Amino acid sequence: MRKIYTVLLMSSLLLLTACDMLDIQPVGKVIPTTLTEYRALLATAYKGVQPTGGLASFRSDEVTVRDNSYDQSHYGQIERWDDYNYEESTTTFDWEKPYNGLFIANFIIESHGGITEGTTQEVDQLVGESYLLRAYLHFKLVNLYGQPYTRAGAPDTKAVPLKLNSDVNELLNRNTVGQIYESILSDITKAEELMTTEAWETKYSYRFNVLSIPAFRSRVYLYMGKWNEAYNASEAVLAHKKELTDFHAATVRVPNHYESLETINALDPVFNNLQHSAACASSALLAMYGEGDLRPAIYFKAADKDGNRFSNKSGYIEYRCTFRTGEMYLNAAEAAAQSDKLPQARTRLLELMQKRYTAEAYAAKVTAVNSMDKSALVQEILKERTRELAYEGHRWFDLRRTTRPRIEKVLKGGTFVLEQDDPRYTIRIPRDAIAANPGLAN
Amino acid sequence: MKRHLFIILIALFGAVTSAFAAQRTVKGVVISSEDNLPLIGASVYVTADDMKRAGSTQSTLGVITDIDGKFSIAIPDGVTRIYCSYVGHDVLEVKLLPGKNQYELTLHPSTQMLDAVVVTGYQTVERRKLTAAVSKIDISDQMVGAAKSIDQALSGQIAGLSVSNVSGAPGAPAKIRIRGTSSLNGTQDPLWILDGMPMEGTDIPSMDVLKDVNNITQSAIAGLNPADIDNITVLKDAAATAIYGARAANGVIVITTKKGRAGKPVINFSTKLTYSPKYDIGRLNLMNSEEKVGLELDLLKSNYIYMSGKGEVARIMNRHKLTEKFQEGGWDALTPQAQAEINKLRSTNTDWNDILFRNAFTQEYNLSLSGGGEKATYYTSLGYMKENGNVPNVSNDRLNLVLKTNYKVNRMLKFGASLFANRRNTSNYLTESGGETNPLYYSRLANSYLSPYDENGKYNYDYDVESDIDMDSGFNPFEERAHTSNESTINSINAIFDGELRFDDRFKITSQLGLQLDKTSMEKIAETDSYAMRKERKDHRFNGTTYLPEGGFHKANENSNTQVTWKAMGEYRDTYNDIHEFEVMVGTEIRKTWYETLYTAGYGFDRKTLTTKPVIFPAEDKTIKLHTKTYKENAYLSAFSTLSYSLLNRYTLGGSIRFDGSDLFGVDKKYRYLPLYSVSGLWRVSQEPFMQGAKWVDNLVVRASYGLQGNIDKNTSPFLLGTYRSDQLLPGGMEDMIDINSAPNDKLRWEKTHSMNAGFDFSVLNQAINLSVDYYYRKGVDLIGIQMLPLETGFTSTTINWASMTNKGVEVGLSTRNIQTKNFMWITNFNFAYNQNTVLKETIRKDERYPSREGYPVGALFAIKSAGVDEKTGLPMYENKAGEVVSAREFFKIDEWGFGTSSLTPEEWRDLYTYAGTSDCPYTGGFNNTFTYKAFELGVNFSFDFGGKVRTQPNYAIVEFDRGRNGNREVLDRWTPTNTGSQLPAIIDPNTYYDENGFFSQFPQAYQFTDVFVKNLNYVRLQNIRLGYTLPVNVVRLLGMNSATVALEGRNLLVFGSSYKNFLDPESMSNPYSTPVPKSVTFSLSLNF
Repeated sequence: MRKIYTVLLMSSLLLLTACDMLDIQPVGKVIPTTLTEYRALLATAYKGVQPTGGLASFRSDEVTVRDNSYDQSHYGQIERWDDYNYEESTTTFDWEKPYNGLFIANFIIESHGGITEGTTQEVDQLVGESYLLRAYLHFKLVNLYGQPYTRAGAPDTKAVPLKLNSDVNELLNRNTVGQIYESILSDITKAEELMTTEAWETKYSYRFNVLSIPAFRSRVYLYMGKWNEAYNASEAVLAHKKELTDFHAATVRVPNHYESLETINALDPVFNNLQHSAACASSALLAMYGEGDLRPAIYFKAADKDGNRFSNKSGYIEYRCTFRTGEMYLNAAEAAAQSDKLPQARTRLLELMQKRYTAEAYAAKVTAVNSMDKSALVQEILKERTRELAYEGHRWFDLRRTTRPRIEKVLKGGTFVLEQDDPRYTIRIPRDAIAANPGLAN
Repeated sequence: MKRHLFIILIALFGAVTSAFAAQRTVKGVVISSEDNLPLIGASVYVTADDMKRAGSTQSTLGVITDIDGKFSIAIPDGVTRIYCSYVGHDVLEVKLLPGKNQYELTLHPSTQMLDAVVVTGYQTVERRKLTAAVSKIDISDQMVGAAKSIDQALSGQIAGLSVSNVSGAPGAPAKIRIRGTSSLNGTQDPLWILDGMPMEGTDIPSMDVLKDVNNITQSAIAGLNPADIDNITVLKDAAATAIYGARAANGVIVITTKKGRAGKPVINFSTKLTYSPKYDIGRLNLMNSEEKVGLELDLLKSNYIYMSGKGEVARIMNRHKLTEKFQEGGWDALTPQAQAEINKLRSTNTDWNDILFRNAFTQEYNLSLSGGGEKATYYTSLGYMKENGNVPNVSNDRLNLVLKTNYKVNRMLKFGASLFANRRNTSNYLTESGGETNPLYYSRLANSYLSPYDENGKYNYDYDVESDIDMDSGFNPFEERAHTSNESTINSINAIFDGELRFDDRFKITSQLGLQLDKTSMEKIAETDSYAMRKERKDHRFNGTTYLPEGGFHKANENSNTQVTWKAMGEYRDTYNDIHEFEVMVGTEIRKTWYETLYTAGYGFDRKTLTTKPVIFPAEDKTIKLHTKTYKENAYLSAFSTLSYSLLNRYTLGGSIRFDGSDLFGVDKKYRYLPLYSVSGLWRVSQEPFMQGAKWVDNLVVRASYGLQGNIDKNTSPFLLGTYRSDQLLPGGMEDMIDINSAPNDKLRWEKTHSMNAGFDFSVLNQAINLSVDYYYRKGVDLIGIQMLPLETGFTSTTINWASMTNKGVEVGLSTRNIQTKNFMWITNFNFAYNQNTVLKETIRKDERYPSREGYPVGALFAIKSAGVDEKTGLPMYENKAGEVVSAREFFKIDEWGFGTSSLTPEEWRDLYTYAGTSDCPYTGGFNNTFTYKAFELGVNFSFDFGGKVRTQPNYAIVEFDRGRNGNREVLDRWTPTNTGSQLPAIIDPNTYYDENGFFSQFPQAYQFTDVFVKNLNYVRLQNIRLGYTLPVNVVRLLGMNSATVALEGRNLLVFGSSYKNFLDPESMSNPYSTPVPKSVTFSLSLNF
């Protein structure tokens, strides 16, 4: 009988211990707690940054969509600014992806105090990057779906919802352009307080480093038309890093290559593979490169059998570029010119030109630039910007923030016009986003 | 220890010692009328009432027969009758004659009668105390007949259990639903219990994509040999299933296998030989060569441009460059040579039925040996079955081995060990990703003017099989059969060890340990010379050329599924004053499961050398996964209890409760345990004093139960739950990333189902009529569903408690003994179930174009109202809400020059549909008859399904009509400019009706989902008809046997009901890829030594 009791006792003991049995850690699943895990989480957010610049380029005068049924059905309506009856095949500008990135960034920011197994410095860097990513994603969104800040009255118009927490139950409404820019600048400042990493290994150079902060600030202020701040930020970058790729060299790597010596940050994919193969350089773009410009031969492939020239600057994962020194020279020049610092503007512009033109052409440029008045100089800087930053996702946004000119496109299906200051300079919020949150329609 | 035992022995023998005071000792032997052999372990007893009446102080008195079936019982004075009972036999009442102390008691097996006990998997419950809705069925040769697995054999047998065949292919599982559909998202399959152990791997994957039917895997049920099964109990209401926890929400099927009986060894041998004739695709009403050539000529003449190069006629014309000439000048403009070639097509009539299908033979052999002594009993069996499909190369074989022993250590302790092992081999055809070469599907596509071989005996390829115009990959069924294979092997072991410690009649402890191991290996091979491989190469191209290496492919899956379950229970029962009966059971269960899968693919495979070649991927987005491994481990811990109280043997109250805990990684602790419970009651009206006058009523019982069941979504967590992935942003920068599976959600509640059941059991006239009626109402609330989220959250959807649904229904089981004479008996078993299922609440996406099921059944089909064909244009017409007949353009608001776009909003789209019916037949049941005349037995079993609807596919496409493929004759009667009276729409000419053509190709549902394609689904199936003959005893005795039976059975010989014109079988109407249930004739022989 005693044996039986022993068995009973043992069984009940077994049951008690069995409660631990339920603590199974499923293979491959994780609830992030450590720095390494949070880093892996942030990597997903970085990976989710979409090639919106490339998609937006189809709306600009920089590229035309290849005449091919697949490409036409995906990008044709974007090229024609035919925003009101998108067919299902047309690629939509992303909405969920950037907000998913914002969710992760917010989640990491909120977890700041709870991240384990990392030094304070490492954790601060990670959280700082999250702030900067949050600012960058909002910046991309506001420039797609919000009116250009520089347009009169625009800062008070509604753009997209600001997402500054990870609450999934909160129903959001659109914030104004001004509010969003304010939040972007504030996030950049917070990032500045936290980030310390000067440089990452090249293969991880998609992660934000310290220099990304003034570089980003320079672009934000430029888009706001705050010239002094933009100039100061650009010069702050150039004080640390001013290398430019020399196009006179025997072999030249395009400057938006992630291993380029101009690279400040290599996150933004700009064009994906599909967009790349659909984007033919427009004749307007090609016509902008004059005699003695070394770039076209390096930037573009030779014309194919249909006469199309495709880019050498996109299509593979090595062409990720968010900020590079070339842009900083142009930002500095434009901001300086606009704030009447013409000598400084000329210097930065010519420093870039020297690396991009043959010696003779450069000499001609020196003469021309030095004789330009403010408005001619601004024009020249913007043209140089178009030439230099072709296929880097800037063109559509530069058109928006500057003059929003009339664009006429003669395409196979007829002539299409985007009027001066056309409302279609602002992209409509995707239908599925409005379907999921009807409040966005207001 | 010894002393304790001694005390117990004393207590046990108390009854015996007091018997010495009695006045007479009755002795005798108990035998079974079945085989005239002694019954060991039968109880011989005096009822408590009789004891009381005799003035005895003892409350119970009874003995058990020994190994020779003998008993000896001391009876107090005044007792005039004794009872004798044995499991599966009728209780016998014996009047004691004065002076006679020697009796021979013969018990009759109770085949059609109510059983004394019901096995619920956890407990054995006496029928008189059974408060739950439970159906039990004995598994016999007659019942199983020629069915190859037990799930198929259940069809039409039990009220409220519906069986539908997903596919008639060998080894394919049958879809079983008990009392309708209870969940919107999760599994709907019942839980299977084998000798007390829950089985894993019995869920059938949902078949959202029709052609996936090709790849359906066997369930663990297919590994059981029906010949080893003794009986099956189906638990239907919450009172019975609550004890099984959350997994039992869809009902429970409890299998009890055969075991050995003490006595001399019994050897059973049986064999079944089945012949199954090939399908008759004549039913499909396909075009013959003459008609198909005519159609192709018509289309060429009419300048129908879609894929104009397809079809042999077009190829002949192109070869001779005559297409334009033909369009201008017609037949006479063709050269004599071209005419001759086309005429040759007309006169070629290949019988694809004969090529694609075959008559099949199936053989099955079972041998079992059982027996035992007082201490131990054993049952061992060996079974082999090989089933050939009606499609060549398709077969399934199964080898079963069962070893069961039960051992009695002493009066208190019993052990049992069982081992069920089986190995199954399935060979199937291999189809490429498009499913076109599925023989069933291909039989509709194959042109009868195409012969599989040319004059020189070389393969003729069918280039029309592909749905695109390239026509660079030809298909030949003979080549495919010779150069591809698709085989899987399943090795499966179920081992159960159980022990019982019985302290006395009141208290016992039982424990059971079960191990289940299923290992599945699947191997798909295609050699270079096969359509499957050509298609694979074509699907993996970069800049026009394939990057797959020269050779074939080899794809292998290795899945393993393991579980260990241990449970322990204590049971206590007692009776007070003969009035109050208590039964309490408390138990606990621990279960752990492991699930592993491995998939590998190799290219450039050579069957002779077994070597593969490396694949060089040209770009990041062109990679194929060559190796995938998954691993899942789960643990469950449960505690449960049941309680039963009976008063005066008339009123019984029952209750059960269970706590289920499981490893919910990342789930809030408060959600780890959910109590599930049930309460139930029973009133035995027939035991009431006022019913004593109604002697003709054997039994009248009223039952009622209520229970709560629940479920929780394991994938939802209040925390951020991620999955690791390896990826890179920049070259060489591979690193870990964490994907977020779903939004953190702390608001999710338990999904709950409230079940109610009320019923009565009624039997009269010595059980000549047994009627059982149950009504149930089941309401699922807070059902877990998907809700769309504002995208600014970063997620598209989250899981919420959003849906609710009810199921209500009636089940009737009626078994009657219609005629019983000395030589003839007719027994009828009729069962019927009605189920009404309503989705009360359901969220759908805002941009969904198909209506929500809210207010309709789960299987709701919605259809667009069509209104014939426009006499002038041949375009389909529609009926709008106002009842007016309008054109497609108006009905769907098709945009002018809009590339086929429509300006209907999703909401307006949804509004176009009207409810057409449900795909789950609400009325189901069976009608089974057994006629016995002397040694002959005739069984005629029908199963029926009524009131359902099925959506079929159109017989021809009105846009993008593929002229290269053969099809139903209906296309010949379509509207054409010369056949304007037709009610069948024209093939839309894209040149004339640009917008409509674009519209119907973009929105195929606008035509395919019209009401004309929703057909009635009402059918009665002659499940089987079986004539058996039992050889005379004196003959078989001469041969040294106890009994011998031969039988001839026809299975699925006849289906009648609403029209299934153009289809092989009503059940496979919705899926042209599915293999219908074959017809078969079986000869069976069963010998008992």
